[in-house]
Amino acid sequence: MKKLILLPLVLAAGLAAFTGCTTVNTVENANKEGQRNMIADQRAITDGSLARKVSIVGVNTSMTPGGLLRVQVELQNRTRSLKRFVYRFEWFDANGMQVNNIISAQTPDSIEGMESKFISAVAPKQNCTDFRVKFLELN
Amino acid sequence: MKKQLVLSLALVSGAAFISGCASDAHYVETGGRENIVNVGRINIQDYIQAADTLVQDLKGSGVLTKVANPPAVLAISRIVNNTSQQLDTDILIKKIRVSLSNGGQAVTTTTMGIGGHAEDPLAKSISDETAFMNDQKTTRLPDFSLSGKIIETTARAGSTRQSTYSFQLSLTDKSGLAVWEGEKEITKQGARSSVGF
Repeated sequence: MKKLILLPLVLAAGLAAFTGCTTVNTVENANKEGQRNMIADQRAITDGSLARKVSIVGVNTSMTPGGLLRVQVELQNRTRSLKRFVYRFEWFDANGMQVNNIISAQTPDSIEGMESKFISAVAPKQNCTDFRVKFLELN
Repeated sequence: MKKQLVLSLALVSGAAFISGCASDAHYVETGGRENIVNVGRINIQDYIQAADTLVQDLKGSGVLTKVANPPAVLAISRIVNNTSQQLDTDILIKKIRVSLSNGGQAVTTTTMGIGGHAEDPLAKSISDETAFMNDQKTTRLPDFSLSGKIIETTARAGSTRQSTYSFQLSLTDKSGLAVWEGEKEITKQGARSSVGF
């Protein structure tokens, strides 16, 4: 009887070890040479669960040599396990009109436990002045 | 009588069960999260992702803006298919062309092609005729040619299969130097096909 109780416990522990948490250790230069042009962002959170797990640390922008807006978003996984999500960039002109982009892909991505990573995109046209990034959690 | 009633009830419930499992035909967003994912095939969302990444990389490099007379003129060279599938590389290349053209960064010549084959033979005839009548060349020579390769790498562990598709592009200038090169790899893993990312 005791054996029967122990077996599922061992199995469960083994399973937990397999699917277990893997977190990321990082190292970087302390005195940064580059200066990021951080911008104020506005967020609409409808999936609180995803926002708690994978949070947006900051958004910075720059211009490409061809005069296109480049956007970089820093994400941080607050949990200790791998999270999968999909994101998409949308672009707008100076009048707030969405700029049609034939290859605006929904990009699947993943982030390890406690990892910090960047996602970035380049505007399709020079008249793109504003942007929006949409995130969706994947199971 | 009772037997017949039970039989027909069983048939009806069986049919309901079967039709309940299958989904009715409906529209889904191309490249969206409801698209079917095959491990052993390049799906439409893979082409869109690859084109999106490569175009952003190309636009971000600023190479196209360095021509003397913008927008840059592109000629499409050979795109080699090194996968086990038969595929039309225009699914990838056309998206890149449209994006560059819409963005005003580059236009593509349709009167020049590999081996003298024009994509648009009528346009080539008109161009040749105009050049003959005016006694001077009217066609602008391309600033760059775009070539590439699609490669497939597969692996298997038990029933789990994995496929990596590498989309490689090179942009070569008139001097024959590759001034930009881009690669996007997409890896898919699973035991069977599914719907969604």
